[in-house]
Amino acid sequence: MLFRPDKKAILTAAPIAFATGLAPHIAAAHEAWLLTPDEIATLASAPMPALFTSSVALGLAAAIGCAGTVAAFHIEEHVRPYEKRLAPGLKNAATYVGPVVMRVALATMLGLAGIGGLPRHGTAHWVEPTLLVPDMQLSLVPGWEWLAACQLTMAVLLLAGLLTRVIGLGLVGLSCLGLVIFGPAFAAYAPHFIAPGLIIFLVGGGKLSLDHMLGLNRHIAGLDPQGLWRLAQILVGVGFVYLAVTYKLTQPTLLIAILQHGEMPTFGLSYPLIALIMTGVEIICGTLLITGRLIRPVSLVIIGAISFLALTLGETPLFHANLYGCMILFTLIGRTWPATNEGPSAYERALV
Amino acid sequence: MSRFNTSGIGSIAILAALMGSLAIGAPSYNAEHAPPRSVFLTLPANLPEPEIEMTVSQDMSGRWQLRLDVSSFQFTTLCVSDAEAVPIGHAHVILDGVKIASAYHPIVDLGYLAPGQQRIAVILRGQDHRALLGKDGLLRQEIEITVPKRA
Repeated sequence: MLFRPDKKAILTAAPIAFATGLAPHIAAAHEAWLLTPDEIATLASAPMPALFTSSVALGLAAAIGCAGTVAAFHIEEHVRPYEKRLAPGLKNAATYVGPVVMRVALATMLGLAGIGGLPRHGTAHWVEPTLLVPDMQLSLVPGWEWLAACQLTMAVLLLAGLLTRVIGLGLVGLSCLGLVIFGPAFAAYAPHFIAPGLIIFLVGGGKLSLDHMLGLNRHIAGLDPQGLWRLAQILVGVGFVYLAVTYKLTQPTLLIAILQHGEMPTFGLSYPLIALIMTGVEIICGTLLITGRLIRPVSLVIIGAISFLALTLGETPLFHANLYGCMILFTLIGRTWPATNEGPSAYERALV
Repeated sequence: MSRFNTSGIGSIAILAALMGSLAIGAPSYNAEHAPPRSVFLTLPANLPEPEIEMTVSQDMSGRWQLRLDVSSFQFTTLCVSDAEAVPIGHAHVILDGVKIASAYHPIVDLGYLAPGQQRIAVILRGQDHRALLGKDGLLRQEIEITVPKRA
């Protein structure tokens, strides 16, 4: 009875599913390529904002960020009883929703990338297959075009829920291969695809899958689910910290240009200050995921942030389907994988 | 269960160390790197800087052609994912603020243009599509033409 879907669980998961899965598909991406020629010309001579060249300003921002995190830890103590009360319902929902969300999210990205349906801004649809993300065009790496068909096959298998765990490992391999093919440029993306690969390996196809129907969804003995679960959280966190440092902290003029291009609401703040806040929030969220603290609140913050940016900058949420999948699973399951030391846990039995 | 998990103090210590080191290291890096490297490719100062000359002409059928004479620059159709900082690549052709073509060769057919004053600009791009930067910034040239009404 414990793992039957109940009304409370569905009511908890429904808003999350609605906010992510049904978010409007608009257009374009928050990437450098969406800037107009005049904006590019302005950006070429844009001065580095003083906030980003001052150790005092950045030190103060770091201190505020740390103080905010300490405050969040205190709030966590007060919120924990409520979280404990909600946790069984959330984990119950994860049993049914989790594998499907991950499969659909990853299949969408893999499939669209394979047929050129997720091109970078300025490139026509359906002509340039990419590797997982819009920037990584396979036509730029001769000899690797076959990866388009490979991604499409993986997408179909994921949608059907057939050989799901194998595809999860395949995604990990594909992400590592991306580093080999595209070099350091792929480092911005690899952790955010290795992590969902590990998660899909961990959760398998779920109840609504061919794996389940064919009895292939068995518990894998000897697996360390908590280790893999934490590794996925750490990788997602590392990805965020890397992105914050590489693209925001050390290229703030680009971030500011993109925010100005999207006419993002400033709430009376200057664009450099908004860029600094975004950088700080990303570093803090990434570090908390790495250290395994405040996993559920951080996941909700990230879902809110990428949804807000998608809406204000007019980009499709599909660009972040992998992250939505991870964050929904992190929100539902939390920091700790529900396992026992001997054999599969009740949660794992419910998954298969 | 507690493997890989960090206490509150541990988490704060890691966060403080990370943010503190970034607060110390980032300003000096940022002071020297204003144009974002994701968008721009700065050519080394020891290389001769490309110079762009543009000529626009109309053929017998009324179509317009743009001819680019770019010194110290090599046009190529080959694109790569991560280009070296060398003056090899293509040009973006912009008509009144809107990109209308990528020029992988020095002659570009602009087609029929709307009558009136038109501003055509060209920006040199590297093999990975990043805009090339010289000593004085963007390697860019523009020209204004007057397109007569078609008879």
